Amino acid sequence: MLALDLFVNGLIIGLYYALMAVGLSMIFGILKVVNFAHGEFYMVGAYAYTLISLNLGVSPWLALPIAAAAGGAIGWLTERWLMRPLYTGYGSWGLMKDEYAVVVTFGLSLLLINLFDKVIGPYPMRGPALSDVTRMSIGPFMMSGHKLITAGLAIVLIVGLALFIKRSLWGRQIQAVAQNRLGASIAGIDTARASCIVFVASGVLAAIAGALLAPVINPAPDVGIFPAIKSYVIVVIGGMGSIPGSIVAALILGVLESFGAVYLSYDYRDTYGLVLLILILLFRPQGLFGERSREV
Amino acid sequence: MRQLRYVLAALAAGVFSTAGHAQSTEPITIGVSIAQSPPGSVVQGTQVKDGVEIIAKILNDGGGVLGRPLKIVYEDNQGIPEKGRAAVEKLISRDKVVALTGGHQSSVCLAEIDVAHRYKVPYINTNCWSDDIRTKGYPEVFNPGNYNTRVSSAMAETIAALKVKNVVAFAENTDYGIGQAKVLAEFLKKMAPDTNYKYVALDRAGKDFTPAVLPLRANPPDMVVNIMLPPAAYILMNQLYEQGVAPSAKTWFYDGAGIADYPDFWQNVKEAGKYMLAFGLYHPQMPMPELGQKVAKIYQEQAKHEPNRLIFQAADSVLLIARAIEQAKSTDSAAMIKALQDMQFEGVRGKFSFSKEPGYGFQQWVDIPYVTYQLTEVNQPLSKTTLIQATGQPLQTDKLVKPSN
Repeated sequence: MLALDLFVNGLIIGLYYALMAVGLSMIFGILKVVNFAHGEFYMVGAYAYTLISLNLGVSPWLALPIAAAAGGAIGWLTERWLMRPLYTGYGSWGLMKDEYAVVVTFGLSLLLINLFDKVIGPYPMRGPALSDVTRMSIGPFMMSGHKLITAGLAIVLIVGLALFIKRSLWGRQIQAVAQNRLGASIAGIDTARASCIVFVASGVLAAIAGALLAPVINPAPDVGIFPAIKSYVIVVIGGMGSIPGSIVAALILGVLESFGAVYLSYDYRDTYGLVLLILILLFRPQGLFGERSREV
Repeated sequence: MRQLRYVLAALAAGVFSTAGHAQSTEPITIGVSIAQSPPGSVVQGTQVKDGVEIIAKILNDGGGVLGRPLKIVYEDNQGIPEKGRAAVEKLISRDKVVALTGGHQSSVCLAEIDVAHRYKVPYINTNCWSDDIRTKGYPEVFNPGNYNTRVSSAMAETIAALKVKNVVAFAENTDYGIGQAKVLAEFLKKMAPDTNYKYVALDRAGKDFTPAVLPLRANPPDMVVNIMLPPAAYILMNQLYEQGVAPSAKTWFYDGAGIADYPDFWQNVKEAGKYMLAFGLYHPQMPMPELGQKVAKIYQEQAKHEPNRLIFQAADSVLLIARAIEQAKSTDSAAMIKALQDMQFEGVRGKFSFSKEPGYGFQQWVDIPYVTYQLTEVNQPLSKTTLIQATGQPLQTDKLVKPSN
């Protein structure tokens, strides 16, 4: 019974991880850079949801899409103002792509954390739940109505994203740009727009993850740091740039941490993912769903 | 030529007398190292700052100390020991503070007192509970706040009175958390030998404690004890409540970290806080000297909510420094330390002196008053909670209520 409880809890946590990680994976897939401000997209969503619903008296159900829009907006601004020099006509600046991306996204992360700390305050504040049912039994499982709803919403969003990438025109363009930016450009695809869409989608997903978890994690300015670290681990385990890989890796990590915390030691909970990461790097360096490649 | 000499001598005398006058009205600088940004407990840091500001204003409005105003210099230690060490180093060497105070997280205090000890500067520990701070035996460190042995002894007394058999404590993985969990185990062995007790260490930066809570669902203990600070404590409480573990008809939830009077407590826990049993160092029904009542009134007018223990502890910390300077008639560190060691202090929480016994009671207010109370409604102000044990009185466990499910 405990094992089943742990499995379900691990899957739910894994779904939240997945919402965070797929955005990061998409950005890596298309730009081949790591967004170190990804955790702060999550924090923006958590705060937007909490502040809008608590201070303006807006229904949490309405605050959720507003938080998503805030995440999308910050994703758009990041791409437009900070990331675009990476690929549009700034060659003369002599930019070193990887270093630039690290510095600029890390700087953005610090800026957002400190901005929220000074403007809103450092206190944790609990977001309102999407359901007033504080706890309920579903068969042998106990959970809050909010947790049940958020797990369902996370599944819908992940499936929706997968369909968007697979079936929609924009999704196919993103795939093309991820495979070969120059080739996609020659084929007439607006690669800058594809990058922009990816950043917006990434911001939306991270912000929704933050908003959905706001009643659980009690947002504070540094709330995004841990989920971001988990996301980096997940992206590498799943295969850099692989969306299905990220989803599967997130679920595996959620379940692994859940079981490890009880059957091994709670103290080392955060290290189980890192152990898995090391094993993957040793035996399958391209990740679970990644492909070996080399550039000539 | 002789006249010129007289003129120069007169000018020099004037200059030196002016300098002497400036010296006597120069502010006395006190260093306060607190957490003002995460991952430290900013809630605590802010409360400490509020208490420091109130008492400094009262003292300055009353003419200062030895006729000199108090100047407070704050440093943000972020709740990180290394930052605390650097903050204290900076306060002593650059800001030339005469004494240090404000500490409210044990790991940070433990790092800071080493620096204070090295420079031989008085350090008034405002709210670091770890016994290790006392057992080091540093003559510069004075402890007017609570300590782990005191709270663990009080909790063991309550646990024994409730005759509970199985107790699980969740302790944060810090010097304070682990230290208190271990001391509680020792006291339970003596005071409630039939009680099965274990503690689980949790990461204070953690956001999901469900895996630690789930095993308790199948086999719920009679009591869950909290030895964690916010925000982790709030998250743990919500997850215990969500899983139906505690508080419940079977399981008490007992807070040993003194979090129930934090200003953001109810906003973060809601139903999970109802029926919580709490160890407290302040309750509006506790007797309090006139100065303490004045501090409480000023705080309430400013903050629009009831004060908590940290306001008074911080006020007493600064007041101790002020009284030490007055008694020593100087800001010399050695003289201040001597004054503090021999002082019969009357502060905002009552009269006390520091014990000279080595060990956990070294330079400690050993008999610091405490209460035990229960929260019986959501959003309940402290003044409306049920007092189960008044200061120095026996426990009245018949007043306790449990949820129906």
